[in-house]
Amino acid sequence: MEFQSCVKIINEWDIVAARQLGRNVAKELGFGTVDQARITTAISELARNIYLYAGQGNVYIDKVYDAGKSGLKIVATDEGPGIQDIRKVMEDGYTTSGGLGAGLPGVKRLMDDFDIDSTPGKGTEILATKWIR
Amino acid sequence: MEIRENMEERYREALSTYLKDQTEQALYSGQKISRKTIEDKISPEEIISLHKSILMEICPDTTDKVFHSLDFLLEVMMGYGIAYRELQSLRHQQQELKSEIEIAANVQHTLLDTDIPDVDGLEIGAISVPAKQMNGDYYHFVQDENECMGIGIADVIGKGIPAALCMSMIKYAMDSLPEHRHAPSSVLENLNRVVEHNVDPSMFITMFYGLYNPHNHVFSYASAGHEPGFYYEAATGEFKDMDAKGLLLGVEKKTKYKQYEKSVEPGDMIILLSDGVTECRTDEGFIERETLIEYIQKNIHLKAQEIVNNIYKQLEKLQHFQLRDDFTLILIKRNV
Amino acid sequence: MNITIDVQDINSRVEIQVKGEIDAYTAPKLRETLFPLSEQENISMVVDLSDVSYMDSTGLGVFVGLFKSVRSHNGEFRLVGLSERLRRLFDITGLAEIIDINSDAEGGLK
Repeated sequence: MEFQSCVKIINEWDIVAARQLGRNVAKELGFGTVDQARITTAISELARNIYLYAGQGNVYIDKVYDAGKSGLKIVATDEGPGIQDIRKVMEDGYTTSGGLGAGLPGVKRLMDDFDIDSTPGKGTEILATKWIR
Repeated sequence: MEIRENMEERYREALSTYLKDQTEQALYSGQKISRKTIEDKISPEEIISLHKSILMEICPDTTDKVFHSLDFLLEVMMGYGIAYRELQSLRHQQQELKSEIEIAANVQHTLLDTDIPDVDGLEIGAISVPAKQMNGDYYHFVQDENECMGIGIADVIGKGIPAALCMSMIKYAMDSLPEHRHAPSSVLENLNRVVEHNVDPSMFITMFYGLYNPHNHVFSYASAGHEPGFYYEAATGEFKDMDAKGLLLGVEKKTKYKQYEKSVEPGDMIILLSDGVTECRTDEGFIERETLIEYIQKNIHLKAQEIVNNIYKQLEKLQHFQLRDDFTLILIKRNV
Repeated sequence: MNITIDVQDINSRVEIQVKGEIDAYTAPKLRETLFPLSEQENISMVVDLSDVSYMDSTGLGVFVGLFKSVRSHNGEFRLVGLSERLRRLFDITGLAEIIDINSDAEGGLK
């Protein structure tokens, strides 16, 4: 890892700041417009989850390099209530029903790698990476 | 990648043609492209991006505002792209569920299978068709050591998978009844205890149980809230309701069932049904029991199995081939 | 196909007016609305079915469930305004013997 920057999510405007940071990094790395939009949408969703359910947290944007590929990694962490049943929130159709947005399955589909770790009462950490094709 | 380059080429061509002169022909090729892109699972945001890059290429003098607006559109369409991908995955899951239910329906079919017995002097026809894949109706024939034939017909209140699961339980409760206790009232009293004990409080079963004695041709029967069947008296040519009082299975633990007896004469018929038969709806409202009797009369000269098959076909047609409830019809005829 | 459920709660007496069709699609709504009410002690629940145009056996299931729940909480459960067809359904199933469906005259809803 050579580069890392962070946006603290406290209010709704911070979601925009996180998007902006993600888009800048994605552009620098040379992602095309569609992938830029996918990355920023994923960041939006993750930041919004923090804002809505945990109150506050952090979104980190990393540039990552692996075996000649370069990519962008989002790390979203919070110390909120955590997720009781991860399998349930990863189910399609669970969050979209109430207009809650793409939800975590959406984020997973927008990105290439996805990993989630959550402890009820402690908080949640989500990692999502997109590689340049 | 090859598909994509090919697509780009087609898109460029169609768009250039359309921008030159706005023909229906060009729009038609646009529609054909979308058929192909859907097939190749290309999402909406990719189409917009493709559109923008081709527009930049073929009309570089377009104002920047138009290009910026396409970037904006792309962002708006992101959500639709996600929804589209979710739909694809849900469709896949639905397929899986469908085939799982199909297997379950086959299992149920094997579980609940019953053979129509050969009883001297009787001709029997039976049909049972589920409204969805799984059947909440059930009928069952047994023959005891005295050659008496028991016939049970039951309908779970409710449809689909829960009803079907419940029915499998009834089947096993019936199988485990002691051999010598096939008197209709005691069969129902036993099953009532099982259902009351084991089934969800909002789930109930209606059931009719009858026992035919081929030696003296007496049909004894009892009903637990089941839709009354018909009795056809050959001597008078009249159809009568086989009224029998009794509470649904599973409501009260200590329900007693009254047993009725009927002496069956040559040519007489016993017709048993589930409420899917009389509850079936047509354009003119419900099928009246009288209509059903008319259908039976029309087919009365046929074999028992042909009669029930024909009636099912007619009712199915009346409902435009969409059953609202499971359908079961049984006809027992004493040969002349 | 839709259903409207109008609940009037006047001291432990609940009057419910159901309008529309009761079938597999609307029955869950009926159950969810009425079940919590049936769990109050000593409640007197009257359900008016005069504006119910269709009810299948799923609806019957809901009312039996309600009846049992009310009874186990020492309450009283009555159905009023049954059409000929509905009355027949309760007769056939033997439910007319245990559920009060005949008290329209005294104290039913108008």
